[in-house]
Amino acid sequence: MKSALFILIVIVSGTLAGAIHGTVNFAIVEPYLDQAIGIENENLFASGEADDNPQFWADYEEYRVWQKSGQVIAGMILGVAMGSLFGIVYALSRNSLPGKNDVTKAVVLAGIMWITIYLIPFLKYPANPPTVGDAETVVLRSILYVSFIAISGFGALAFYKLSKKLQSDKKYLGLVGYAVFIIAAFIVMPENPDEVTAPMNLVNEFRLMSVLGVTSFWISVGIILGLFWNKFDDANSSKNDS
Amino acid sequence: MSKVQQLSVSKTSVSKVAILVLAIVFAAGLFVVGFDQGHIFSVVYGEQAFVDLTIHELTHDMRHAAGFPCH
Repeated sequence: MKSALFILIVIVSGTLAGAIHGTVNFAIVEPYLDQAIGIENENLFASGEADDNPQFWADYEEYRVWQKSGQVIAGMILGVAMGSLFGIVYALSRNSLPGKNDVTKAVVLAGIMWITIYLIPFLKYPANPPTVGDAETVVLRSILYVSFIAISGFGALAFYKLSKKLQSDKKYLGLVGYAVFIIAAFIVMPENPDEVTAPMNLVNEFRLMSVLGVTSFWISVGIILGLFWNKFDDANSSKNDS
Repeated sequence: MSKVQQLSVSKTSVSKVAILVLAIVFAAGLFVVGFDQGHIFSVVYGEQAFVDLTIHELTHDMRHAAGFPCH
């Protein structure tokens, strides 16, 4: 596939999947964000950091409109970013992925990446709604989160490479090795330093919606990139022509 | 047989330049949505960008929803 076409289909599929992610979030995550920010406001009033007056609510409405308007836009930017990573990994691993066509292969890879660089890091450092995070610890939490994503992602890659060197009846040892490795990382990596002070039912429901939103992205990007690849790959075209 | 396999691999491979371009897009996009605290706009607006947090606020809801740490 030509480089420009490859970049184009990766970016378009990431943008579309990101728009789906943002739209899903807009529908199912926003109500929980509003609830959590409501608690945050009550805490500000109670502590005297803000006054419950018309000016506060005017400012609040203004920045909440800005924040909500960014849900789909940010979804598209994040979609392009994660879609680019997905496109790179797909291009490099396509010949090793199971499946008869690119949609199947891309969905399989999306599932693997969803588990390794999203779900497993999420289980260690789950998403939190506003009012939970402490501004003082945001850098530390970012470092921990990114580190765990890198540990899980590169760990999966390393054990996959290792399993390729094993005999076919022992390839499962790669998966076992990754499982042991990631359990060790779970134990060794520090906990999120922030105490969860919001009601746990709100936090848990928010987390579930968050998972559904991100899952919608990975399913979409797998299907869309797979469809584009099926359509535009030179190898497929020549196969269809013959 | 090996010739056929080689042909198949070369047809599905993509250039290193394309990989590099996408890697840059990945890093930049991830930073914008997940981690910017005024850094990008500070190039134009200086210290005020760290107060305004324009990109942070725009990406705020997605940042929480996608699992990124936020305050």
